[in-house]
Amino acid sequence: MTGNVLGLGIGIAAFGVAIGLGLIGYSAMQGMARQPEAIGKLQTAMLIALAFVELVFLLVVFIVPGSVR
Amino acid sequence: MKAVFETAPLLLAAAGKEGEKGHHGPSFVGLFVYVALVLAVLFALMAYAKPGMSQRVFSGRKLLGLPILGSFEQIYLFIEQMCVGTIGSHGRKYIPMIMTFWMVIFVGNLVALFFPTSPTADLSFNLGIALISIGYVQWEGMRANGVFGHLKHFAGPKLPGALILISAIIFVIELISELMKNVSLSLRLFGNIDGGHQAAVAMNELGKHIIDLGGFELSIPFGAFLLPIKLLTCVVQAMIFSLLTCVYLSLVTHHDDHGDDHGHAPAPAH
Amino acid sequence: MSQEHNEKGGAPAIVLIVIGVVLMFGGMILSDQTKEAAFIKALAEQGIPLDIGKTVATIGVFMILFPVIKSFFTNPLQEAIGQRNTDLERTFSEAESLRGQMTEMKADYERRLVETEAQAREQIQAQIREAQDLRKTLMAEATQQADSMKKRAQEEIEAERDRALTGIRLQVANLTLQATERILGENMDTDRNRRLIDEFLDQIEVPAS
Repeated sequence: MTGNVLGLGIGIAAFGVAIGLGLIGYSAMQGMARQPEAIGKLQTAMLIALAFVELVFLLVVFIVPGSVR
Repeated sequence: MKAVFETAPLLLAAAGKEGEKGHHGPSFVGLFVYVALVLAVLFALMAYAKPGMSQRVFSGRKLLGLPILGSFEQIYLFIEQMCVGTIGSHGRKYIPMIMTFWMVIFVGNLVALFFPTSPTADLSFNLGIALISIGYVQWEGMRANGVFGHLKHFAGPKLPGALILISAIIFVIELISELMKNVSLSLRLFGNIDGGHQAAVAMNELGKHIIDLGGFELSIPFGAFLLPIKLLTCVVQAMIFSLLTCVYLSLVTHHDDHGDDHGHAPAPAH
Repeated sequence: MSQEHNEKGGAPAIVLIVIGVVLMFGGMILSDQTKEAAFIKALAEQGIPLDIGKTVATIGVFMILFPVIKSFFTNPLQEAIGQRNTDLERTFSEAESLRGQMTEMKADYERRLVETEAQAREQIQAQIREAQDLRKTLMAEATQQADSMKKRAQEEIEAERDRALTGIRLQVANLTLQATERILGENMDTDRNRRLIDEFLDQIEVPAS
């Protein structure tokens, strides 16, 4: 039973993180389309942002199961 | 206990089938067999590419139609651009270190595509790299600002009088965040590579014995369809690791760079 | 944790390598020692398979790896790329200077061409002027000569005419004298008579045109 609830929780975390990643990609692509000369800088900033958002999900995956136990 | 294995599907889907051993990663000797494999690949490529350096044009020798030295040159230029773009003009001296990180992580990730495990799919190895990276950042910060200046850097902006308490709190928080940088660097790499690995294994599970041809069961390796995106992850994770190291270095050695910037180019105001 | 190792980061590579080897063996021992440690087990239960020994050994591996890769590959690559860049730059600057030289030479050539043209034109004009001068002087000379010749001819004509006139006059006078002599039967060829006839002839003389 706890297992199912935890799975649901991780699913919710993935949902939020997916939205966040999508937003980053969306805005970065919009920025690139508007200013193609700034693609390099935008990509760097986008990758850093992606890494940090992704980290949230990884933390959830690694820490939540242990702490709920 | 059992719940944990059931509920972390990304990481642990295959753990039940493979047993406890797969979950714990390779043993000490196993890990270093893989490290030796990665380094062997890397050094073989480097030794293969090295004779071409004396030529005027880097055409060099090709392996499977891929100009090895040209690829190394592109990596070098990419890293140089990253270092100089993020850290500033004095970032050039960090290129060998960042490039070593990039190459080792990239080859490690590639090994993870074809082998059951790999150095970068092991949290302990990743934590080691992250500790080196952050430790080097601290060392560079101390060299740039002095030990005391570097510690003061943690305390945030200078606050007057009684607000020194807040500075103390900021100091502690910064210290924790510095430690968390290690965790985040290593966990990100581990989660991406090992997670991709587990996802591939789980998808292979899905396709196991999916077609029954009258007693002869066919399996479809669905996990193979993940290879393109895993290849992308290989590059992106190697890049993110080196990029974040660059960013941390630039944060720490920012001050003299700032002074230089103002000294050389005071004019451009956007 | 790794700080004290990195304190010696500026040290020569051999120190780093020694530290790396020590760390690798230390990691091996540490891995054995901490296998049953409580916090490792706790982390493993949480799905985080951490082995401190491996981490320490990894740090050791990288301590060795950095100087090795740096001297084995990165520095030569850096040098080669730098040298190639300077080579290219030098070639470019050479080409640039050659082009500059060529432009200079071309400008020089053009300047000389213009100069030559101007010189030639000047010469031609000078020649023309000279020829014109010559023509003028020749014309003047010729005119002068013609004039003088004409004058001489006129003088000659006049002299001839005068001589003829004088001859005729003499003839007439002689004839008249002879006629008169014959008529008068005596020699009238005296000075006085002659003067008389001359006077007479002067009176009847028509203007010599």
